This record gives sequence, C-alpha cells and structure tokens, in this order.
Amino acid sequence: MAQIFPKWTNYLGHIAVGFVALKLIGITAFFWYFGSPEYLDVGYRPIQPVEYNHKVHAGDLGIDCRYCHTSVEYSARANVPPLATCMNCHKLVKPDTEKMQLVSASWKGRDAIRWIRVNDLPGYAYFDHSIHVSAGVSCIECHGNVAEMDIVRQAKPLSMGFCLDCHRNPELFLRPVDQVTNMKWVAPPNQQEMGQLLRSERNINPPQDCSGCHR
Amino acid sequence: MKKKELTKGKEYWRSLDQLAETPEYKQFLEREFPEGASDCDNAWSRRKFITLMGASLAMAGLAGCRRPVEKIVPYVERPEEVVPGIPQHYATSMPFGDSAYGVLVESHEGRPTKMEGNKLHPSTGGASSAFIQAQILGLYDPDRSKTVLKNGKPKTWNDFVLTWIGLHEKFKKNGGEGLAVLGGAFSSPTTSRLRSVFQKTFPKAKWITHEPVSDRNIYDGLKVAYGQAVRPQYAFDKADVILSLDSDFLLLESDSVVNARRFANGRNVESEQDKMNRLYVVECGYSTTGANADHRQAVKSHEVGAFALSLAHELKNLGVNIPGVESQLVPQKKFKWVKEVARDLKRAGGRSIVVAGRRQPAAVHALVAALNEGLGNAGKTVLYTKPVDTTFSDRNGLKTLANDIKGGIVSTLVMIDSNPLYDAPADLEFATTLSKVSTTIQLSNYVDETSTSVTWHIPQAHFLESWGDARSYDGTVGIIQPLIQPLFDSVSDVEMVGLLAEGKFTKGYDAVRKTWEVILRGGNFETKWRRVLHDGLLSDSASELVSARLRGTAVANYLSDNSLVKNNQAGSLEIVFAASPAVYDGRFAGNGWLQELPHPVTKLTWDNAALLSQSTAKQINVKNNDIVKLDYRGRNLELPVWIQPGQAENCVIVELGYGRHGVSKISDAVGANAFGLKDSAAGDFDSGLVLTKTGRTHKLACTQNHWSMEDRPIVREATLEEYHEHPNFAKEAVKHPPLESMFNEPSYAEGYQWGMTVDLNSCVGCNACMVACNSENNIPVVGREQVIEGREMHWIRLDRYYTGNVEDPETVHQPVLCQHCENAPCEQVCPVGATVHDAEGLNTMVYNRCIGTRYCSNNCPYKVRRFNFFNYTSDYDELAKMAQNPDVTVRFRGVMEKCTYCVQRISSAKITAKKERRDVRDGEIIPACQQACPADALTFGNINDPGSEVSKRKKHSRNYDLLGELNVKPRTSYLAKLRNPNPEIKKA
Repeated sequence: MAQIFPKWTNYLGHIAVGFVALKLIGITAFFWYFGSPEYLDVGYRPIQPVEYNHKVHAGDLGIDCRYCHTSVEYSARANVPPLATCMNCHKLVKPDTEKMQLVSASWKGRDAIRWIRVNDLPGYAYFDHSIHVSAGVSCIECHGNVAEMDIVRQAKPLSMGFCLDCHRNPELFLRPVDQVTNMKWVAPPNQQEMGQLLRSERNINPPQDCSGCHR
Repeated sequence: MKKKELTKGKEYWRSLDQLAETPEYKQFLEREFPEGASDCDNAWSRRKFITLMGASLAMAGLAGCRRPVEKIVPYVERPEEVVPGIPQHYATSMPFGDSAYGVLVESHEGRPTKMEGNKLHPSTGGASSAFIQAQILGLYDPDRSKTVLKNGKPKTWNDFVLTWIGLHEKFKKNGGEGLAVLGGAFSSPTTSRLRSVFQKTFPKAKWITHEPVSDRNIYDGLKVAYGQAVRPQYAFDKADVILSLDSDFLLLESDSVVNARRFANGRNVESEQDKMNRLYVVECGYSTTGANADHRQAVKSHEVGAFALSLAHELKNLGVNIPGVESQLVPQKKFKWVKEVARDLKRAGGRSIVVAGRRQPAAVHALVAALNEGLGNAGKTVLYTKPVDTTFSDRNGLKTLANDIKGGIVSTLVMIDSNPLYDAPADLEFATTLSKVSTTIQLSNYVDETSTSVTWHIPQAHFLESWGDARSYDGTVGIIQPLIQPLFDSVSDVEMVGLLAEGKFTKGYDAVRKTWEVILRGGNFETKWRRVLHDGLLSDSASELVSARLRGTAVANYLSDNSLVKNNQAGSLEIVFAASPAVYDGRFAGNGWLQELPHPVTKLTWDNAALLSQSTAKQINVKNNDIVKLDYRGRNLELPVWIQPGQAENCVIVELGYGRHGVSKISDAVGANAFGLKDSAAGDFDSGLVLTKTGRTHKLACTQNHWSMEDRPIVREATLEEYHEHPNFAKEAVKHPPLESMFNEPSYAEGYQWGMTVDLNSCVGCNACMVACNSENNIPVVGREQVIEGREMHWIRLDRYYTGNVEDPETVHQPVLCQHCENAPCEQVCPVGATVHDAEGLNTMVYNRCIGTRYCSNNCPYKVRRFNFFNYTSDYDELAKMAQNPDVTVRFRGVMEKCTYCVQRISSAKITAKKERRDVRDGEIIPACQQACPADALTFGNINDPGSEVSKRKKHSRNYDLLGELNVKPRTSYLAKLRNPNPEIKKA
C-alpha cells in the first residue's frame, strides 16, 4: 500500500514541538525584558508642577544634596524639602519670574506643591536612606548623576536584582563617607581593594535575607 | 481519641466538647481548616466571584501597564521636631473613669499609630493593657460622632455656645434652679476646678456622677471603717498570702496594670530557692484572677460575705483580733479551707492581703478593711490614700435625678460622657423620664442611644486630640496632650465643662494651663510646664498616705445593720452583672480589636452570653448556644447559654456593655444589653432570676478549640514543692529518642541570633499582648462569622487549658506565637520558597512569593500561621486605615502571615546600632507583645550573647521547648508554670 504521507512528515511533530518551545521561550524572554523595571521604569521622567532644575542647582551652583534633602543622613527617608527651603534663596533670587510663579503663590497661600514621585519603591520594600549613606553608598548609585539632569528621571531599575547586585558585592560601590554626595567623584582604579578596606573597617555586611528589606 | 499521660499525670482540656469528645470538636481538630472555610459562600456564589474576577483581571491587565502616579506633598514649613520617616513619641494620659493611665503614643508625621505605657508613670511603668492598646483604633473609628446636632439636625459648636450663653444668664439669676448635670466619673484637676466654678455660679444646680461600673462599694465600705473617703493601694509584690474575695484585681478592677505587675513580681522564681506568693480566690464566676489562683473555690456572689465572716471568726479563734467582728451571726454554711486560709494568713504576719471585688457590697469591704487591720496588713501591704480632684459615682444619684425629673424640678439637663438611655438601670425608665426635661444637652463620642432623644448633641473629642489632665489611681497627676487636631467638629470635656461653668468658651489648652499654674506654683512655671509635657506627668505627685485608725465600733454597727449572712434562698438563681474584659461597660463596644479579642477565660468573642455552671445547665436542660430567657424583676432578656466550668452553681453571669443599638457598625447587633435587666435597688448581683429555655439557638463565636495542638504535653507545671525536689521537671516531662535531623542544619553560631522566652509562671492571661500585636502588625479584624469559621488572624494567641474536674478545674494560660523553629516544618513544605530562614534565625514570611497553598499551616505543629481568606484590610474605612503602622506591610488576600518577632523593630534597632558603629544592646529590641506585658512574662533578645537576659532565662531549670521532641528546634521557649498550694489543703 502506497504511503499517504511522505517520509518528511515524520519530522512535523518534532518541528511543532520545537516551534512551541521556541514560542514559549520567546514569550518568556519578551516579558522578562519588556516587563522588567529596567525596561519599564528606567528613564521615567514625569513633568513636575514646577520646572525645577537639578542641573542648575546641584550641578552649576554646586549646592550639596543635603542642603535640601536634610534627613537623608539620619532618617529612612530623604525628604523632599519644605517650601521654606526654596524660599531661603528665592525670596531674593528671581522671586517673580514665570518659573517661580507656582512656588511664590504656594508660599503666599501656605499650600504645598504636589510633586510627582520619580524613584518609587513598592510599598513592601523598606529602604532606609540613612544606613546606606552612612555606609558610604553614594546617591549616584541609585539616583544617577542628578547634577546633570535638567529634569530628574529614574536612572536605575531599582528592582530587587539591582539592590542585590550591590548587597552581594558592596565593595564595588563603596566610597569614603565624606564623598557620598560628591557628584564628580571618580572611582579609583583600585576600587575593589579600597572597597574591601572600607567594608572591613566599618563592618559592612549588607543583608541578603528577605527580612533585610521586607517586613 | 485516647489521652496520653501528661506531666504529673495531669490532663489538660480546652473545652467541654473536648472532654465529651463530640464530633464537632473532632472535626475542628482534624481538619486544618474547618469545613467550608475555604469556600466563599456568603452572599457571593462561586460563579459570580469568578465572573467578576475575570472581568477585573482583564481590566488589571490594561491598567498594569501604566505606572501609578504617586504624589509627594512636602511641608510648606517643616515643624522643627518633625523628620519624615522618624516617628515621634509623646507622653500623655488615658483617662479611665475615676483614674487614668500614663501612656506614650507613637506618631508618624502627626498620625498617632501606637499606644505604649509610659515608663515614668507609676500607673503603667511602660506596660499596658488591652484597653490602652486599643485606643488607637477608637480614635479612628469612622462611626464617631462628627457634628453638633440640634434635634437631629446639623448645627455648629458656635450655635450651641450662643444658646448656652443665654441659658447661663438665665440660670445665673436663679442660682441654677432647674439645672442638672449628669456626668461620668473623672479625676482631672482642671475639670474639678471648673466644676467648683460651676457649683459656685449655680449653687442650686445638681451635679450627679454616674458610672455603670464603679468602685462605689469599696469607697463606702472604707468610709465606714475609716470615717473618711480613702482609696486602697495594694502592694501585691510584698504579700506572701493573698486572698481575693470575688475580686478580679489582675484584669478588671481599678489599677489592674500595676496589680498584675506587682502580683507577677511576687511570683517571680529566678532560682530553685526562691519563694513565691500564694493566691486564694473565692469567687462566683471564673475570672482571670481565679485562673491564677493556687486555690480557688466557687461560691455564689451572695456567699462571699459569709465566707469573709467565717474567716474573721476563724482568725479570732486563732487569737487574731479583728476589730469590729464581735457577736455577728456565724454563718451556718461551712466553706472549704477557711481554717487553712486563716492559719496561712496569720502565719504571713502582716505580709498578706485580703481584697474584695467591686461587686461585693460595702459591708464586705468594711469587713475586709477590718481583716487587713487585724492581720497587720494595713500600712504594710495595704495602704490608703486620700483621693484628690476625683469624683466618684454616686450611689443613688441616678435615682434621685430620675425622681427630680419626674417631680418637674429639672428643666435643663446636661449629660457629659453619659448615656443613660443605654446604661441606666431599667426600672428608672429613663427614656420616658428624659422626655420630661425641656432642654437636654449631651456631650458624647458617638451618636448613641441617648443622642437621638436630646435637644443638643455635641461630639466629644478623643483624649488623643484634646488638652486635659488626669490623676491615676495612686493620685499621680498627668497631662493629656493632643497628638492630632480633632478629626471632627468635637470638643473636649474640659472645654465643655468650662463653657458650662463660665458661660464663655475657653480653649482646652488655656484652661489646663490655668490649673497647672497653681499645681506648679513656685519657681519658673515655663520650665516646669515643659518638663511636665515631656514626661507626661508631675513626678512624685501621688496622693498622700492616710494614717487613720480603723473604727471598730463603726464597723461592728455597720455589720450588724447590713448582715452578710443572707437567707439561703435555696433553688433560686442568682444573677450577676459583670464588666466585660472586651468592651468594659460598653464604652469600647465600637472597637473591633476588643470585640474580636477572645475573653481570657471563656474565649468568647463578639457576644455576651448567659454563663452557667454545668450542673445548672443540666437542671434546665440546656447546652452551649441554646437561647434562654432570663426573667428578673418583671423584665426579661434573651441570651445564648455558655457553660463555664468552675462557675458557682445556681448562678448566671451576664456581661454588660453589649447590645448597643444604632451606635456603630461594629457594636450594633452584638450580644444583648444586660443593663435592660438591672435594677437600681439591687446591686450588681441579686437573686430571683428565672431561666427558661426558648428552643432557639445562636452560635457563639468561641475560639477555645481553634488552633489546637492535640493532646501533647504543651503546658508543663508543677507545685513549688515538686520544683524544689525536681528542678528539671519540665525538661524531663517528655522522654524522646536522640534528636537527629535528616536535613542539613545550619549552625547559627555567628552574629545576632534572635530568640524569646515566655514565662508561664508570670503570664496572668490579660490579653494585652494580643491587642499590642494587632496594633503593631496591622492585623485585620475579620468579624464574627469569620471567627466561627476559625479564621481569626491574631499572630499571638492565649491558649487556655483547664485541668481537673469540670466543676472545679484549674486553669493555665499559655501565649503561643510563631516559635521560629530552626528546623521549621513550614519551610520544608512550601513549594515556592515563600517562607524561609534568615541568617539571624528568623523564620521569615515573604508575602509576595506566597501563592496560598497553606501547606505551611498544615505542617506547623504549633498552629501559628494565619491565612488571609479575604482582602480584609481593603474593606476598611479610609479613616480606620490611619491606625496602621507604616513600617509593616499590609497583607493581601490569599497570602499566609504570622508572627515576625516584630522584624521592623529588629531592623530599626540594627540600623541605629550600625550607624552608631556598635552592636545592638541587650534590651534595645522589644517586640510589641513584650512591651505591652505588665507581668514581664516575655523576653526577647540575642541568644548568641551569653549575657543577654533571654540567654539567662533560657538557662533556667524551668525552661522547656514546646514540642521539642519533634526536633524542630524552636527559638521561642517556655518557662514552666509553678503553683504554690497550701500543703494543709488536700485536693478534693
């Protein structure tokens, strides 16, 4: 009896299985990357109610981060400054320009400005700024070089993998504590050894357990 | 099921169902979750649920792509002391009837979230009670009264002020004729000052104080004995022998936090040579104090006086002179162990205490004062102070007021913190009485039963949002300072009384300062005032001790006028009205944490019941959950029956404070109002009750069989004598083969290793830890139906075991929380690694990984894991969500949760220590349960540090691991309980 299906059809099954497998891998890979904070969140740059320019303030004028974000060294949260901090200078500096309109109006009306959060961690991750700063982790590591941003954008994925990269190998990211807010600091060629030294000096053992950040 | 032989041959049981081995009990025990617990059947069919879920999933898929925009709202000008992310603590006072507790309140950016005791304040010493802990939820109750109402229509506070100014003018002219004030008891210097201004302005006005649950009998009895108003202060820590006559001094009497602390101190056994106190309890119901007794006997409330008199005579026979006890009738009834107690009390030689409960009539208290005098306790273990700035409940005040109203004498009635339409004795018929008053004004925190019948209703501010002051039980004067602006349009008691007295509105702050300018006179006021605001109290301001002589003849006369030996009304049932450990007199009925808190002994939640002894229940042929009709003095009330082992025969106990109507979503339709049976002529107990079975049933939400660990040797206890002979009895209680594990065991020898001990000998079973945990860890309230299904969420529970016979069992309380096993059985079965160990020995729960298989809970030998069957928290009102701790994740539906050892507190302490370049100090991390515990039963710390308190306790001979024979290596261990029975008394 003549064969109805030619011999090559024997391989159809294999091809189908291979195709399905490829497709599954493809879908996984698609969501793995396109669903990741690295793709979705990095570069998030909302338009803020006030056209505040970090590049001018922190970069050109060289104001230290801590002038505004005062609580970063001793609180879990690095506060967004109260309006009063802005007015320290802007009572005198360009008080009536167009860009300052909302700020002046808010100051007079005693009404807070509603900023849009850029670097947002999920509610179940408890990040403490103070302990990172006191360990010698620079602002840049998570926020990027804000001194070069006209409009602040999210620079790093801030995903759990991102956190763990550093928690596993902190020596690659540590610097002297007095250089934490220095945006122009360049890592020395011997970062590894220096980091190791800083790490043992200050007994830095970042937690890698769930309980380190999740409560 | 066959019961195994347990420690010292004792058998422990949780419920009558367990003893009888009913099918219901077996089912609850054998199924991890009771039948139907996994179904979603109330008002939601499975199909409807899936339909809606499908739809919302489709929506979620779309919405999930967009990142939610979150706003940051910084301060315009940041208050100097507020740093975002660092909580602040303010010392204030929680007024409670005629006393107060000193508390420390945690506040996150102006939002109070947690109550603690104030370490500096003698009334709490840093510990707290379930009532104190629950006040946070009370503040954010969305059902609190929000606006001023006139005849039910919204008005403003200014409208009322104008109205009162008119009335003030009118009454000033006639000296206050026709004006009456009905208020709750208070202990505030400012309110006292304003009240005397009021009385000076309106000399003919009446001021009546009424508290439905009060110490009136105690004061009256002591007034007979000492000729002046004095308040007893008990040094339970200095007493070797304590006799409680129907007094629940560890939980429901005044000053219970201090009492529990001192009592536990007197029982603290550090080494095998230590001694401990001995507690005898004679009571009608089974109280928390009774559960701690070394010897307990149940007698009807009527017979407690006779017991005291028998004791007095026995003591006289032993040659102890009891003043005032002469020729009174010797009771005919022979009580158990009267002679032995008398001998024991005499032997103690001034180191004993006799204390009677507030339900007992004044004559009992006069006699008890004489006993303490005769035994030489007065001045040593029993001290008397002179209360100042304090009003007490008037004995017949409410009745006089009702008569005055009926006589047409009262034209304007002001009610401050008073709700007579709910809690006045039923015979006064206050609803019709009140309608005879032309103008009625009420200040209350809820639109309650009375509010709908008054002319003016004014919302009362919570103590966390108002200025005031209050004296604690020992007289220490503390400040009440606001943690937050009033959430609603409300005024404080101080402001209300100020307006009444002065005819003009003065802010609470100004009124309080004016009082304190006198209290702090001499020296720089501002410095002293700031000190008071910082500490929360004026130190060393406790009331002076009274050194009066007991008046023997007065006591003798009083005792012969008020005989303690009642006619034995055989067959007649006794009814007892008791305050509830959950809602007290109804003031906490709107509080979900307290409603869901299992009663320390009955383990009932969300209901009151007619508590009966088993033999009484048999007489009328009823069982648990059967509804009975209580007929008493022509009124009746229907309540479900609950059989309480160890209760006196022929006596029915009903708890007050339930059966609220139209007040709040939480309190309405929970239980029945026992005030509807009360009679103004009778006291808190009376005979003449008739019970009839109705044939209907009502399922009570009782947790006593939940989370059972089956018949394993869980509780280990011994007598002090046995302990001296066998110090290691607890460890030796279980014989097991060598413990070897098939798993690779990490060493845990490095760094911090957290562990805990629970001293069963200290724990009094007060429930403070449970509410503290609720508050600290955002544990949801699930409601009555869910509790019946066995879904209550408490991370720490208090197991109550009975041992002995049904008519007279002993009781043991055991707090059980996650044991943080090193070889954790839960971790071995989780398919997704959602529960894992960290390097410091914590058994952590990763909510985001959890897919809700519940295998972990199934495999947990301690039954400490709790599953979110619903999205409990998302249904909360926005206001109630303000009570939540921002440092703890709020859990979603479908995930497991359990005790974390307060990992947020551990993290925060570790971060602080790290920043200061040092190690965490011992005692720096205190979990919420330990912090709340008045008895210091819980100790937490680093078990790798041999010098830490927890390590020392773990070396104790009484230390044992719960189910240690399973080789799960729990980090929490228990110190076995000891009892100190009198060797002269033979167990029946």
